[in-house]
Amino acid sequence: MDLSIVAERISQKILQKGKNVEQKEIEAKLRLLVEEFGVPPAEAERTVISELGREYQVQGLAGAIESDRHAIAELVPEEWVTIEGKVVGLSAPNSPSIAQTGIIADASGAIRFVVWAKAGAPQLEAGCWYRVESAVVDEFRNSPNLKIHSGTTVTPIETDRPLMPSETTVAELKPGVGSVRVKMVQEWEARSDRILQTGLVGDPTGTIKFTIWKEEGKEPLVPEAVYDIYYATVDEYNGRLSLVLNSGTVVPDEEAELEVGAGGQVFAGAIVHVGQGSGLVKRCPVEGCNRVLSRQNYCPIHEIQPDFRYDLRIKAVLDDGVTTKNILMQRETTEAVAGLTLDEAVDLAENSPLGMDEVFLRVQSAAMGRYLDCRGREMDTSVLVTSAERHRFDPAALAALIDRAGGEA
Amino acid sequence: MSAQVPFSGRREVRFEREPARRVFAAELREARHQFKEGTEEKSPTYVLLPTGQRCNRVFVVGSMTEKQRQGEQNIFYRARVVDPTGTTFVTAGNYQPEAMQQIARVEPPAFVAVVGKPNVFEAPDGGGVYVSLRAESVTVVDRETRDLWILDAAKATLDRIDAYGTTEDSKRAGEEYRIDPALFRKTVADALAQMHL
Repeated sequence: MDLSIVAERISQKILQKGKNVEQKEIEAKLRLLVEEFGVPPAEAERTVISELGREYQVQGLAGAIESDRHAIAELVPEEWVTIEGKVVGLSAPNSPSIAQTGIIADASGAIRFVVWAKAGAPQLEAGCWYRVESAVVDEFRNSPNLKIHSGTTVTPIETDRPLMPSETTVAELKPGVGSVRVKMVQEWEARSDRILQTGLVGDPTGTIKFTIWKEEGKEPLVPEAVYDIYYATVDEYNGRLSLVLNSGTVVPDEEAELEVGAGGQVFAGAIVHVGQGSGLVKRCPVEGCNRVLSRQNYCPIHEIQPDFRYDLRIKAVLDDGVTTKNILMQRETTEAVAGLTLDEAVDLAENSPLGMDEVFLRVQSAAMGRYLDCRGREMDTSVLVTSAERHRFDPAALAALIDRAGGEA
Repeated sequence: MSAQVPFSGRREVRFEREPARRVFAAELREARHQFKEGTEEKSPTYVLLPTGQRCNRVFVVGSMTEKQRQGEQNIFYRARVVDPTGTTFVTAGNYQPEAMQQIARVEPPAFVAVVGKPNVFEAPDGGGVYVSLRAESVTVVDRETRDLWILDAAKATLDRIDAYGTTEDSKRAGEEYRIDPALFRKTVADALAQMHL
């Protein structure tokens, strides 16, 4: 950065306030800081402005200072930043070298922070505003994190400013911190004694896993209830996001109703293969088993099961010409795609000389070659489809291609 | 860094299925160069398209206008599938029993979706070079699926033309073929113009 330009900018700002400061004097102050003391130019500019403000008793240069205060939502890793924010959550640090961890927010968003024990910073209190100067943003497990170290200045701000957390949809959540309005949809069995509750919450754009760790004062969510969750931490593991509610504030909204969408991604393409095991299958009736039985009604675990129950499914390959996905459709989707209900399929199997093969052929001829838009979630090696629709012919797509091919319509 | 194979425990190498490329008859007809990747017996065979992409599997939707049963002991089906740019030859023999039975059930003319492996072969009497699809599956579909396929094939062809010269396969195509890929842009435009009517 050319310091003479910075000096000119500063002198203009002061001139607007009716005081005239020699530009050379400003530049000399800047050079001293930048060249002798290795201060970053932006920080030097801020320092010189506040120094001159005091020296010439110019009020309202604050506006100029504000310009290098960063909005929390815009922080990017590897940057030295100055922010003003409210501590909206504190959590127990998991290492003796860490004094405090928590979440700090401003109107634009929120970020996780860490105060190193060696930083010598004052004890931060939840619900209070602070100005944090010269902190460092880095990335921890894919989410931005604000480090308060020994070079950081933390000053309490006395006045409480109103702060409305900006909520996003579940689909828009990113690793870091998020606020959402969701309905509790499913409770799962906890795999650890340290977990108070785990399950699924969702909004019209999709669902996400949540976890509440055991901690004093934490209450489990009530199934089917709607909550505003402010400043929960969003973690990413194996490409999947999950919410940890401990850091956040959970506010139930007893009156509210919320529709929960299927979420997931849309996979579009043509069905190029319908696999064996599609169509009508028999499932093991033993509770919690549900395995598909062999033709002789044999379950690999529970052996012969004559009281099986029927189910419909499609195992297929969806191909968009570039990549292929193994997809799995459960009964409802299969019924829609094949145009065949489970009852009709059972009827067909029982009255046809080909038996269950007849159903396979029906499902295969209804699905093969068709263009489908499948909504679902990618599990290990395949996509579990929750809904599928026939892709429809769109004259606009034709017009766009004609344009692209450069032909005359 | 050394190119170390990451430790994968007992997990097996995942099998990647070859995608089915969307190719108009007019382009498939011009394909000549066939090659094998790798030296093992089961290594996949590819046909290089003149627009510069290898394909091991092709997806076409068109009208089956004609089918022929051939052979006595070894029954063999040959069918013609027509799209707006020309005819694609589809075959199915004893090694494709499912596809053969499916062709047997089709009453031409009918819209069909075909997934198959492309094959380049020379007529034994020196009668030229042919490209055909050895069918994996043949299914009767509706007109809308056919229309969607034309858009899909048009888009895929334009994508290949746009990427021409930037990929290894397209550089190879430049050496193997004396066809300007831009010609296929006209093919696409003509195919789309027919739909408009």
